[in-house]
Amino acid sequence: MNADRVPAKPSILAGGQAAPCWPRAWVAAGIVVGGIALGAASAWLVLKNPWSAQSVRAGAWKTSTVTGSVDADPYTRARVAVGGLLALSREETLYYVADRDDAGRPLRSGCGYRIEGTPPPARWWSITAYADDFFLFPNEAHRYSLNGSTAQLDAKGHFALLTGPNDPNPPGAATPTHWLPTPGDRGLMFTLRLYNPGPALVATPSVLVPPSIERVGACP
Amino acid sequence: MTRRRWQGTLALLAIAAGTHLLVVWAIPRLIMRKVLSTTPAQLGSPGSTERVYFPPMTDATQRRIVMPSPDLLYATCVFDVSRRPLRIQADPRLSGYWSVAAYAANSDNFFVVNDRQLAGQPLDLLLVGMQRAPAGTVMPPGARVVVAPSDKGLVLMRVLVGDYATEKAMLEPARRTFRCEPLP
Repeated sequence: MNADRVPAKPSILAGGQAAPCWPRAWVAAGIVVGGIALGAASAWLVLKNPWSAQSVRAGAWKTSTVTGSVDADPYTRARVAVGGLLALSREETLYYVADRDDAGRPLRSGCGYRIEGTPPPARWWSITAYADDFFLFPNEAHRYSLNGSTAQLDAKGHFALLTGPNDPNPPGAATPTHWLPTPGDRGLMFTLRLYNPGPALVATPSVLVPPSIERVGACP
Repeated sequence: MTRRRWQGTLALLAIAAGTHLLVVWAIPRLIMRKVLSTTPAQLGSPGSTERVYFPPMTDATQRRIVMPSPDLLYATCVFDVSRRPLRIQADPRLSGYWSVAAYAANSDNFFVVNDRQLAGQPLDLLLVGMQRAPAGTVMPPGARVVVAPSDKGLVLMRVLVGDYATEKAMLEPARRTFRCEPLP
């Protein structure tokens, strides 16, 4: 055994001095600041994507049974406050949110999408496009949504909606599909609101026949 | 790891957990407090916290409250029922959907009523706090009493809009039937 290669004790520096000992006050302050930073950061991580934790799914759409309710747990309440303040309880309105297409790809405003489906069983419904800051996309036409009043149904009773930065309808099209402009290239989400939903949906929101969300055309 | 390091690590984790829970608890209350304090007043008695605001039709310039609906006209009323009950009335007489919802200071939707539930009758609510109304308060007959879980909060009227340009003459007077007035 070569005693010359045994490392020196970590508490002894080369010069033979004792290792620096942090004052207790500094250590305590570091623990407090570190704990607060860790707690705040973990809360931010939990709340930064407020709709990602919705528990009920129907296709690409997610919802919660306690949104807006006095029965909401603290996390649901905080998420709703961040991403959907002043929501109504599900007996009055069901909110379904999609931030991915049917293939599971995150939605981008720079891409084109076709949303198609049948009018859901509710007194009134709407589909609105929001940017990833939860606000509407500015556009000159002031077109932000498709709803039960403006949707044109085809012979099969289906509605269709196109979104993207540019109007994909050919100029002068006789029956253009409703287009919602989503300028720029940023995160995108769709919200499906059902006002006075049918009792079956209120009881089991997952039975919604979900509108399809299909990516169409080029995507940067 | 020394005992002191274990103690330090546990203290750090305990502080982190407490901070995490505090932030999650506080976020909805702080956001609501900001909304309540920034709601513009267009009506209401001077010095009162009861006020009604009729915002313009929602578009992309509205960046005060997240996920605004572009298909609804709103009327909002900030309330404080710590001293006096608040009478809320509306009689829009519309065939389409409208509702009045109340939100507590923690953002909970503790009350909502819509046009179908009212079956054509005007809305007449009395919002009271957890404390008893002061002696001498005359309760209006026929008003439905709703107990607010917090002294402060927000009442929000929603009116469904098909085409605002063509329906404006009908919808604007209808939503302006919304009243929030503290009892004398």
